[in-house]
Amino acid sequence: MEHLRLPNTVISPIDVARLLRELNNLDDFFVSVKNRQAGTSMQLPKLSRQLDQLSHDNELNLLDESHRAGLNQKLTKIYEAAPKMHISFASEPSSKPFEDILLWLRKNIDPHTLVTVGLQPAIAAGCVVRTSNKLFDMSLRAGLERQRPYLARLIKGAVDGR
Amino acid sequence: MNTGGLVLVVGSLLSAASAFIWLALRLENGPGHKKPKNKQEQEALVTDAAKEDVEHIFNADFREELRNRGRLHFEKILSENAMFLQQDLRETTAQLNEYMRAEITRTLQEEFKKYEQSIVDAKQIALQSIEKTVTTIDQQRQFLEQQMQAQANAQRDRIIERFENEMAAIINHYVLRAVGDQIDLSDQLEFILGELEANKQAIIEDVKSGTS
Repeated sequence: MEHLRLPNTVISPIDVARLLRELNNLDDFFVSVKNRQAGTSMQLPKLSRQLDQLSHDNELNLLDESHRAGLNQKLTKIYEAAPKMHISFASEPSSKPFEDILLWLRKNIDPHTLVTVGLQPAIAAGCVVRTSNKLFDMSLRAGLERQRPYLARLIKGAVDGR
Repeated sequence: MNTGGLVLVVGSLLSAASAFIWLALRLENGPGHKKPKNKQEQEALVTDAAKEDVEHIFNADFREELRNRGRLHFEKILSENAMFLQQDLRETTAQLNEYMRAEITRTLQEEFKKYEQSIVDAKQIALQSIEKTVTTIDQQRQFLEQQMQAQANAQRDRIIERFENEMAAIINHYVLRAVGDQIDLSDQLEFILGELEANKQAIIEDVKSGTS
């Protein structure tokens, strides 16, 4: 089975869950279309930008039931098994840099990496990446803490006049 | 009064007594005795006449005169002796005063010497005590100085250590607060990607272990 290419707009497991829900709604719509009586009015569902881009990037026709089923299966598998990370920033990340980070993760770690964004103002800069088992502190706070002995040596040197 | 004066007084008294005794003996053998009719009677008459003459000569007035003279002479002698005695007494008093003055002076000098010696001894003892006290105080001062120096050094080291630690924390906190809102994520992107690259292998291993 060919890998699903997740667009950059699909970021977190919540997005995947939303896509699945939307896809299910679409299936339900087509089922209802089949069962509707002639002449009754019906309202066409609106696709979200994420689902539209996902289907476009993967050359899927959402009118085709098999495509929808395949997409649903792949999304379900991604939702259940894709690597999930939690990345905390000092402030709300702007979209472009965050997209670059997401691209790097999907290119270097796993193509289906899902990221949840959090906020930790105390880290000042950088980020804190938490995987299922580990915590990677890539913040400025951690960098300053690592450099603390060096700073203490500098201060001591200044106090001693050396 | 010296010894010569006393000898003179005693000699005068003895000569006066001898004169009275001699006169009494002569009067006893005078004209009052009966002379024999013969030569013996004549002699007796002569004797009586002599006695009578003697009595005429040494009558009461004459004896009174002699008494007065003796009294005056005795008084003169007494006066002279009193004068001598007074003079001697004065000299003796002067000598005694001189002696007493000398004795008192000598005694006082000795006492003063003893007193001075006592003062010197007391001064020496006081000096020794003061020296001991000064030595003790100096030792105490040195001990206290060492203790204070050690405490000051320890306190300084503690302050420096605390300053270093606290200062590092303060600087960290300050930097975090100062740059926290100033650095945009696009400015941090290179740093974050570099960190991710550095931890890439660990992340991959953790992801694989989590998904397997």
